Amino acid sequence: MVKIGIMSFAHLHANSYAACLKALPGVSLSAIWDDNASRGKKMAKEFKTNFVKDMNEFLASDIEGVIITSENSKHRAMVEAAARAKKWILCEKPLAPTMKDAQSIVTTCRKAGVGLGTAFPCRFSTPLIEAKSMLNSGKFGAVYAITCTNHGQYPGGWFSDPALSGGGATMDHTVHVVDLLRWMLGKEFKSVYCELGNQLHNKSFPTDDLGSLHLEMEGGIQVSHLASWSRPKSFPTWGDVTLEFVCEGGLITVDAFNQKVTVFDDGNQQVRYDAWGDNPDMALVKNFVDAVQSRCDCASTGMDGFAATAVTEAAYRSAKTGRTIKI
Amino acid sequence: MNVAILGCGGMGRLHAQMATNCGLRISYCADAVRKAAKGLADDFGAKAVVDPMKAIEAKDTDIVVITTPTPSHETFVSAAAAAGKHIFCEKPFGRSSEECKRAIRAAEKAGVTLFVGHVVRYFQEFELMRERIQKGSIGKTGWVKLFRGGIFPGAPGSWFRDYKQSGGVTFDCMIHDLDWVRYVFGEPERIFCQTIMRTEPTQLDYSQVTMRMKSGVIATIINTWAAPSGFKVKAEICGSKGMIQFDSTETPLGAEPRQTGSGPTMFVPMSPVAVSPYQLEWQDFIATIGSGHTPRVTPLDALRAVEMAEAALKSNSSKEPVKF
Repeated sequence: MVKIGIMSFAHLHANSYAACLKALPGVSLSAIWDDNASRGKKMAKEFKTNFVKDMNEFLASDIEGVIITSENSKHRAMVEAAARAKKWILCEKPLAPTMKDAQSIVTTCRKAGVGLGTAFPCRFSTPLIEAKSMLNSGKFGAVYAITCTNHGQYPGGWFSDPALSGGGATMDHTVHVVDLLRWMLGKEFKSVYCELGNQLHNKSFPTDDLGSLHLEMEGGIQVSHLASWSRPKSFPTWGDVTLEFVCEGGLITVDAFNQKVTVFDDGNQQVRYDAWGDNPDMALVKNFVDAVQSRCDCASTGMDGFAATAVTEAAYRSAKTGRTIKI
Repeated sequence: MNVAILGCGGMGRLHAQMATNCGLRISYCADAVRKAAKGLADDFGAKAVVDPMKAIEAKDTDIVVITTPTPSHETFVSAAAAAGKHIFCEKPFGRSSEECKRAIRAAEKAGVTLFVGHVVRYFQEFELMRERIQKGSIGKTGWVKLFRGGIFPGAPGSWFRDYKQSGGVTFDCMIHDLDWVRYVFGEPERIFCQTIMRTEPTQLDYSQVTMRMKSGVIATIINTWAAPSGFKVKAEICGSKGMIQFDSTETPLGAEPRQTGSGPTMFVPMSPVAVSPYQLEWQDFIATIGSGHTPRVTPLDALRAVEMAEAALKSNSSKEPVKF
């Protein structure tokens, strides 16, 4: 039985990871630690596990790996504490809001000799895996341009508190797509131009709620990415991840979560998309558990998390300076 | 009134039909390719000529329709104005803003009506979106996303395929979206553009543009001439109280003939309306002739659209945003 703990339920993805840990055979969700004790206790009750109030006590226990799902700016301190305790680590994305923190996280884990993964579940999405294999098959030839979106509804809470999140929708919804493109094409990003807006929520919070990014990848591939919290409350689903690849040999289009049924629910006065596709979180968590057992890194490493943060940081600098920024 | 068509390609034929629907008579069809001129002239009971000046200067020409390659627009606008004829010029107004300015001066000097066919302003779906936006149905608009395009137009050797003449998808096609965004959201502040403009091994163009308007609205526009087939338009407007989406692939009518052995068939989506947007722009143009009526799109609007497309291509070269 591989024993895994969760550090913080600040990020809503913690609930999904906890459910995956409960569902996977040969794995146990052994303990929860949270700097918000009442939240931690509530989640421990919900997932029928132990809440440990003291972080050092939690890390001194016999858990072998931890999933860190705190606020973005708290990742570094928690990763470093877990690394000191020699725990294997899966850290929620973005790995950190700044390159400085991301670099420190990677270095600390390397020095401590512990495995580190960045939670990029899209790498485990079946439609995206198929798209990657189509691209890599060579049947579509060279890629010239890509248009991507990662839209969502406004998550509220700390996500729009710059001290805890480091940035808004662009911080939240750029790294998935950046990681996907690096993974699918095996190429790095060279530059970014970004227009940021804070204008879809009556400026009720200080961060951006939308970003229009124009990037260039190695080989001159031009990329447009739309990151946002633009989905209205009345929208039938949480958001999307879409990619359009313009290739010499044709087009490849992905709408990664477009495996759904439409539910017209009078009881809740709601039209809703309910998903039936494979759950990428399950494969992400399974990959982490395998990494813990075999003492190796996850499929998406700390360096992948760092590379994604480098693009986000450059995007924010571009918006600030009004210029194209080299990455 | 009598209409002379200069340039007897697809758009020349379309405008000949619209003018006829408005009760006008087609008097001349001019094209450097005699066969093209004759084909259109025969269908509309007009005279076919190879020399455009003959059509422009003819006594029985009151209106000149310019549906020739973009770089020739200014010459024909000036010639038609000098001959005292009213002018319907297809978009883009000209290949450069300088050409457009000279064309405007020529028409003003001659006192003739000059109209540029930015037809998207007349599309029913775009008008409905504009009306909903201005009514505040989605609160204050913050983000506009537009998509337009399909297969690369024109046969090999066509002027569309010469980027010097057409300006590619950014200049020839996205000019519709640039104009509509300015129409609804006011003047732009800066623009950023990346476009592929390839010629080899396959000719493809794909343009990605973001504009920040003076109002703060951000518009991202994707236009393609890189699709393997078809044509589509999509729009998504995000506001503080909701969102509007449009997708041209969702149509009330479609047809697909059964396969017969001579190869695959294709589904053809259709969205018929009683009065087409092209008919509406013709009605607006005719109402402007000899009256004080200001049409929905003016030559100055068309000039601004060319300036925006020029700025986009400048940004594509410099890889930096261009300020207005």
